[in-house]
Amino acid sequence: MKILTLVRQVPDAEARVKISGGQVDLEGATLVMDGMDEYGVEEALRLREGGAAVEEIVALATGPKRVEDALRTALAMGVDRAIHVETDQALDPIALSRVVAQVAQAEGVSLILVGGQEADWDSQALGAATAERLGWPQLTWTNELALEGDTLTGRHDVDDGNESFRVPLPAVVTTQQGLNEPRYPTLPNIMKAKKKELRKDTLDAYGAAPTVRVVGSDIQTRARLNKMIDGKDPQAAAAELLDLLRNEAKVIA
Amino acid sequence: MTATLPAADVGMRFALSDDQRLIVQHVRDYCRAEIAPRAAEYDRSGEFPRGQLRGLAELGLMGATLPEAWDGAGLDSVTYALCLEEIAAADASVAVIVSVQNGLPEQMLLRYGTDAQRERYLRPLARGEHIGAFCLTESGAGSDAANLQMRAERDGDAWVLSGAKAWITSGGQADTYLVMARTGGPGARGVSCFIVEKDRPGLSFGRPEEKMGLHAAHTTTVTFDGVRVPAENLVGEEGQGLIIALASLDAGRIGIAMQAIGIARAALEHAARYAAEREQFGKKLREFEGVSFKVARMAARIEAARLVALKAAWLKDQGQPYGKEASIAKLLASEAAVDVTRDAIQIFGGNGYSREYPVERLYRDAKVTEIYEGTSEIQQLVISRAVFAEYSD
Repeated sequence: MKILTLVRQVPDAEARVKISGGQVDLEGATLVMDGMDEYGVEEALRLREGGAAVEEIVALATGPKRVEDALRTALAMGVDRAIHVETDQALDPIALSRVVAQVAQAEGVSLILVGGQEADWDSQALGAATAERLGWPQLTWTNELALEGDTLTGRHDVDDGNESFRVPLPAVVTTQQGLNEPRYPTLPNIMKAKKKELRKDTLDAYGAAPTVRVVGSDIQTRARLNKMIDGKDPQAAAAELLDLLRNEAKVIA
Repeated sequence: MTATLPAADVGMRFALSDDQRLIVQHVRDYCRAEIAPRAAEYDRSGEFPRGQLRGLAELGLMGATLPEAWDGAGLDSVTYALCLEEIAAADASVAVIVSVQNGLPEQMLLRYGTDAQRERYLRPLARGEHIGAFCLTESGAGSDAANLQMRAERDGDAWVLSGAKAWITSGGQADTYLVMARTGGPGARGVSCFIVEKDRPGLSFGRPEEKMGLHAAHTTTVTFDGVRVPAENLVGEEGQGLIIALASLDAGRIGIAMQAIGIARAALEHAARYAAEREQFGKKLREFEGVSFKVARMAARIEAARLVALKAAWLKDQGQPYGKEASIAKLLASEAAVDVTRDAIQIFGGNGYSREYPVERLYRDAKVTEIYEGTSEIQQLVISRAVFAEYSD
């Protein structure tokens, strides 16, 4: 069997993003593989290392040329080969799911791992949309996975708790923090990753034009009240602070 | 300038290759996430950072420049140098242990060891399963290394080592000691190099020295009380010991230069951020020329030292002599580190003097880079000898 893991490249969690011309400007920001997707790559590797008959692990990414770096990271972690659908167009999750579903079919994969949410879009829709297109079952927010033959078992979070599941492949699985602790690639593997196949596709081949267009972006800022408490009487000041935290900010009970 | 300009296949190129960039970025990310957050804690406890070293070993950094055939990561010297800067910027104690391991015992075994010695001692060092130590300095022979007194006597199929070494990095923690001892008459040619395993009877270690900085990097005396090692533990030829030690020190000096640069860069980063936030007299500190010009000089010193150190590393990769450049780099980088960290404290003011902030630790860690693996005075001796040799007819 083959596993497809989707890889996105997003700004580092500590990156400061700028807006220019109504668009998020990533110039100068450190870009990394989305942490959610690292869990997917790691889990695919662990399923294989755990003895499951995983013939090949393929990483897929869409986006501009720089996205190659994220795919190289996946290759350095241990993925066998990568497919880069190169485009400067931003794809919304529904358009992206069209690419993922087509690649999954063309490559004959039976398990797709995608992040439960995305650091740059956060629609949580990609896994569901992909499963819908393929008519496959989806298991969201997984905490644990095991593979025996063509049967995937595991646990995942649902609205009213955590449930165990068993599902025959093919299936779409979404990952989340806690599924595993992703490995750091070793330095020799980073160098070897360059020799692994990284195939380039054009977006045209997939007919996945996005219908959503971003017309403007803003950085969310929170206005501060800058409320000052007179500290001359420490006890009164403490009492007032408690009152404000409890009744106005409502951050303590 | 010398009469003939040095030639190289490629012209002056400062850009990193894709591989180099990816590796250095990766090591930077790793060190920021895993090493830096615990540096202050290790400085306070003085605990040997075994967990940190294990993590770096998994990346391949405990055998960074060794060929993959010997379980190394196969990095070139330039990439390795930049990795050391990243480690040092996160924790200088961890960096010196890594630098000693890669630069001294491993290089000595790679270049002068037999295949049997490499199989047995180099592989575990490269994989980071073992820590290595370099035993040259004695209490009476520091800069004057050729005057070392420790003896090794031949006894049948064995050598018996007697004497004491001082200021040994990773003493007591290391598994494999590369020891220089006198097997012949006085002077440089009477010295041989031996491998001594930690569990040999008669080997003992002093308490870790209470140092000004680098608290997590243990430094001890190592005492040899009639320690017997088999004849096959001799590295290279009898009488070749000091040549082996000093040849490895050239590479070690690039390592210490990069350690110093990493410490200095960390200080610059802290100072620049602090100057951008802290206000006095209604202005940010960085709006005062007294502060901004200091920051400019700090950056200039770091950049200059880094360029020389990387040139030395590049010359090494080209198979060209690099001893003079390594010494220049070590001299400039260590002095820059001490000055830059001191200036960073000044920018932080009273906060800089407090252990609540990281810059006082950087200052304490920086000072020793002017002392170990050849003092600044020894570097000047090496450099001046090279200069005089260039201009003698």
